[in-house]
Amino acid sequence: MSLPTKAVALAAASAVAWSSVALTASALADVFKIDGPPKVAIILFGPKNDGGWSQAFEEARPELEKIIGAKIPVVEKVPEDSSAITPPAERFIQRGYNVIIGTAFGYSDTFKKLSEEHPKVAFLDASGITNGPNLESFYGRTYESQYLCGMAAAAASKTGKLGFVAANPLPVVNWTINAYEMGAKAINPDATLTVVFTGAWNDPVKERAATTALIDQGADVIGQHVDTPTPQIVAQERGVYGTGHHRDLAEFAPKATQCSSVWTWAKFLGPTLESIKAGTWAPSPYGAFPGIKQGGTDIACCGSAVSEDNKKKILAARQDIIDGKNAIFVGPLADRDGKERIAAGATLSDADLWKMDWFIPGVISQK
Amino acid sequence: MAEASSPGAPPAGASRGFGRLTIEVRRSVSPQLRIGALAGAIAIGLTISAIALVLAGVPASDLAQEFIVATLFDPTNLKAVFVQAAPLVLVGLSAAMAFRVRFWNLGIEGQMIFGGVGATAVSLAHAGPDSTRLVAMFVAAMLAGAAWAAIPAALKLLMNVNEIISTLLLNYVASDILLHLLYGVWKDQDGFPHSLKYSASELIPDILPGANGGLVIAAAAAALLVVVTARSRAGVYMRFVSASPSVAEALGVPVRPLVFSTVLLSGALAAVAGFVVASSQEGRLTQSFYQGYGVSGVLIGFLARNNPFAAAIVGVLMATLVIAGQNLQVFYGIPQSMVQLIQAVIVMCVAASDFLTVHRLHWAR
Repeated sequence: MSLPTKAVALAAASAVAWSSVALTASALADVFKIDGPPKVAIILFGPKNDGGWSQAFEEARPELEKIIGAKIPVVEKVPEDSSAITPPAERFIQRGYNVIIGTAFGYSDTFKKLSEEHPKVAFLDASGITNGPNLESFYGRTYESQYLCGMAAAAASKTGKLGFVAANPLPVVNWTINAYEMGAKAINPDATLTVVFTGAWNDPVKERAATTALIDQGADVIGQHVDTPTPQIVAQERGVYGTGHHRDLAEFAPKATQCSSVWTWAKFLGPTLESIKAGTWAPSPYGAFPGIKQGGTDIACCGSAVSEDNKKKILAARQDIIDGKNAIFVGPLADRDGKERIAAGATLSDADLWKMDWFIPGVISQK
Repeated sequence: MAEASSPGAPPAGASRGFGRLTIEVRRSVSPQLRIGALAGAIAIGLTISAIALVLAGVPASDLAQEFIVATLFDPTNLKAVFVQAAPLVLVGLSAAMAFRVRFWNLGIEGQMIFGGVGATAVSLAHAGPDSTRLVAMFVAAMLAGAAWAAIPAALKLLMNVNEIISTLLLNYVASDILLHLLYGVWKDQDGFPHSLKYSASELIPDILPGANGGLVIAAAAAALLVVVTARSRAGVYMRFVSASPSVAEALGVPVRPLVFSTVLLSGALAAVAGFVVASSQEGRLTQSFYQGYGVSGVLIGFLARNNPFAAAIVGVLMATLVIAGQNLQVFYGIPQSMVQLIQAVIVMCVAASDFLTVHRLHWAR
């Protein structure tokens, strides 16, 4: 019995030592190291075959297993409650897992607490908002991929009236909507985007109603930032086009889906796991925010309704984003009420991106 | 089933060659029989589950270890069971109380939301000194939950609106109110849709080592309700109403005030569950803290046959099942649907055992 107790005491002592290091020295670069080879476990918010957010992680798993050379167990359908998240995480840690990957905004507080209790374990949380010496939240720059999908949407549209089914008016959704409209305008300067918020990430019934309403109002391409493929399926049923989110939704609506913003988590998590393994992992105090270049997000494009000419334009725009020639949110940019949001020549900072609560002209939504 | 037991009724499962099977209602059910049947049902449920798990590829030799030993004899896991049990016991009690007066309260989630909202309002207003803040939050939660439950109770008593529909639909209204607050005036300073964190004095402490304060509250509530239902005048009245509201009315039981106040009590209990989740687990008001507890509460109330003591036991049992299920998922890659199947099998066995305790199967040649 004395050995484990001793280990706990040591861990506690080193935690104290670390926090004092963190207070006195600003160089944290190589403070964190896991013991031994990485043993990785994933905690999924949704079912692993949800067709979207959670499945994107499940599909990255085989590649990550190859990188670390070990199986990666998964727990699925873990809701955003501390009482649900803590037990599987503790269980993994008890059995020697030292890299825990979470997949929800609502895991943030619990992961922060766990990371403080287990300073020798690395924590990563997709769409989380907490960070620490051994905790990094990460999310993709979806405005890059959704900008390109907005281009594809305008290219496929005959009327220039685009619709968008969104979950909740959060910054991550708001920037998707703005970038989508900006991309659409790059193809058709008169394009408008009518947005309906369903108030839920995963509610096929409301998504169907919202999509139907948008099409009834004349929208002929439906974009989306919700977790199910329902808007694409309805678009196909109604004979109009759409663009997907999370994964290539042409799987569900091959005729309708013209472009999808997809997650490329293996491309981001692979190198992250390598650096944890090498002992060089330095989690950013602001979280990781990879774009197309670093492998957070990308597009599956384009469907047959996008002309070859426009497809070339979209792929060229993608290259510009990768090369850093188009940061999307660059000034001068005013919101739809005429208030200047980005000054001429300036680029919107990440901090301001995470606070985005405004829409550009051309975006029509309930307020 | 009562017809089958009456003399002269056609025998159930009759067959000339094999004698006949009759089903009789027992005149009285001893506590020993009840406990024995419950234990037997759990054993049968676990056996069926074990067979399913072995077929799914879990080594038989690991089963007992993973399912029982690792869940109940490991301090971390036991703590997790208790954390999960506290709100489950409270929502189970909430359902049991309402069902006692034949009020089918399906609005437990909405009442939980209002409990969380009431407690958070006190937190955000910094009402009163720090030392009494938790008590103020507790009281505010109960008042808010009772007030929310008063709506369907009044609708039923005054206008005869079916509470199954009104309580269920009011859950959606409550959840929209919650989102309206979290995306609006209660949004965190960082712009994310949850309330500001509670301060240290607003978190329910671990009163006993290993047992969270929420569990202590749940246990106290259960003990109080055991006394109320077994010893008080109101408890006797509830039994009358449960048996027959019209006869109770004729006997002079104040049925309507009793039903109304019991529904308020049920709402307050659900609200305390919301307060416990927000203040002892999440540390703030979140968007989804109440989800899933409505069905669990109804299930616990049903399995406990509206008995508060049984509801406490069943609540802890359900929590054990949840945590044990997670263990299986973690180490054997058993899908969540399989875990739900196991939980359903055990619940169904317990429900079926109830039939066998209330009835006697009689084999006659």
